[in-house]
Amino acid sequence: MDRDLVHDVTEFLYREALALDERRFRDWLAMLTEDIRYEVPVRVTREGLADWELSPTSRIFDDDAATLEVRVRRLETDFAWAEQPPSRTRHYVTNVVVDPTEVAEEFLASSNCFIYRSRGDSPNPSFYSLARKDVVRRTADGWRLAKRWAAFDQSLINAHNLSIFV
Amino acid sequence: MTTRPDPTPLADWVASTREGIRDGRFPARAFNDADVHALEQERLFSKAWCFLAHESEIPSPGDYVTRYIANNNLIVVRDENGEVHANLNMCRHRGNVMCKAELGNASHFRCSYHGWTYKNSGELIGVPYMKEGYEGRLKRKEWGLVRVRVESYEGLLFGCLDPEAESLADYLGDFRFYLDLYLKQGAEGVEVHGPPDHWVAETDWKICAENFAGDGYHTPVAHQWGFNLGYFPSSGSTHSQGWAVHVPGKGHGIGLGHSPNFPPFGGFPDELVEDMRTSLSPEQVAVFEKTRTAVGTVFPNLSFLMQPFSLVPGEPGVRFVTMRLYHPAGPGRMEMYSWCLVPRGADQAYKDEAYRCYTLAFGQAGTFEQDDFENWTKVTRSAESTMVRDVDFPYIMGMESEPDPEFPGPGTALVPYVNDTNFRNLWSRWGDYLAGEA
Repeated sequence: MDRDLVHDVTEFLYREALALDERRFRDWLAMLTEDIRYEVPVRVTREGLADWELSPTSRIFDDDAATLEVRVRRLETDFAWAEQPPSRTRHYVTNVVVDPTEVAEEFLASSNCFIYRSRGDSPNPSFYSLARKDVVRRTADGWRLAKRWAAFDQSLINAHNLSIFV
Repeated sequence: MTTRPDPTPLADWVASTREGIRDGRFPARAFNDADVHALEQERLFSKAWCFLAHESEIPSPGDYVTRYIANNNLIVVRDENGEVHANLNMCRHRGNVMCKAELGNASHFRCSYHGWTYKNSGELIGVPYMKEGYEGRLKRKEWGLVRVRVESYEGLLFGCLDPEAESLADYLGDFRFYLDLYLKQGAEGVEVHGPPDHWVAETDWKICAENFAGDGYHTPVAHQWGFNLGYFPSSGSTHSQGWAVHVPGKGHGIGLGHSPNFPPFGGFPDELVEDMRTSLSPEQVAVFEKTRTAVGTVFPNLSFLMQPFSLVPGEPGVRFVTMRLYHPAGPGRMEMYSWCLVPRGADQAYKDEAYRCYTLAFGQAGTFEQDDFENWTKVTRSAESTMVRDVDFPYIMGMESEPDPEFPGPGTALVPYVNDTNFRNLWSRWGDYLAGEA
């Protein structure tokens, strides 16, 4: 792939992560396409030769633009208790690999995402490791996220809730 | 109030707790205490019928899932003849874990240590060096996997570690009437949409069991954002309408929330409603057609919620059902298994929409679930502090209320829906088990 393209996609993913970590959720929504699919499949521990370990039907997140808008509107009320006070997150995005897709202006961006989450006065942060296979789209207005596909590496997830975005 | 090491023997604490429940009090200590947790493992989870799986998770011969009763890991499997077994996930030879996956299909299980091999039903059939090593002294039929009793109701598979316990039918008793709302959505019943969400939380399982036994009281505050965005057909002022129903002496309870002008069976697909009107009893139809929210707990740790919900606020929406198991994983610590049940007879578009409503509202990232677990982990944290050991909580709503004489269903029904009566019944049954009197 063209180096400039890889650089641009990587920087887009960094800026997207920055918007989440700075809790600029309106800015984050603006970085998504109107037809965004936002999916986090349920992982199941299975034998090595099993035909799937990420459930074909079960999702932790299964969102589109309308429901992501609902999640953000919720966070904008005074009653989103799960995020009062808010989680402090850092999304560490690494191992970015960019590949072409069958659509000219869309690219598959594979990455690792490590999330640090600190809550309240607890000295024990939570850590989540995810594999991401996103689709990014080049538009007249710049890069946009057309698909977020992220799978937790744990099958039993150590989070009392997932009131954050991955 | 004094803070001090607690010298009270546990039996005395259980006795005084049971007295308190009768008077409408329940101690904070119950929600995060190592001794109470150990007693629950010994006296409650080793005696009660505990939920294992839904039959649709293991539809074909050889399908299995691994699940827990107390701290015992079990293989729940459908054998080659279609019969379901629950066997301890441990080789009878030296105790190795037989099955390391949580889901799969196998005709046999072979131990990775010395190679003992069992049929999926649990019978020992293969022993390496049978002749040379054991010289005819080992009888295979005496060394099958350790079996656990399994019985089912409408697709729900339960296991019981106590061979003397009553049948599942007797254990569930009149609560089956209410379970049918979740399980008989149309003539073909329900199926899981897929494997459950599975997560760990620093939360006591009892907080969840109580909340889902009909805590209509928390909804307008804990989920205030939902009212704020217009998700509920009821408002804060009408939310208390409905019935709180419990099955006395069994621990099971359900809240049946109503809304003014709510259409009969609102949110169900029309063809399922036709089915339900004929296949359910007239008494069930009379109760269910009015019900907007149904949130119930099968004692001790299985719950259901049915709720009409729309992906964006203000639309009629569809009914989603979540079924959840609160696996006690330690004092103040649990694993949540959360499934979505969908009607087998509904079209795929309805099932998919119901599932997306479930993920938006419940499950680990569900917007309602998020706030519940934030509150529940805080309750659990409070409950371990030393001062709180002497603190009781009030459970006095509905203490003097008479049952609704017009109510068409079994059990004891009170109005309003905002009520503690179900919880007193739940903790009273829990007390029976902890005292060894169940």
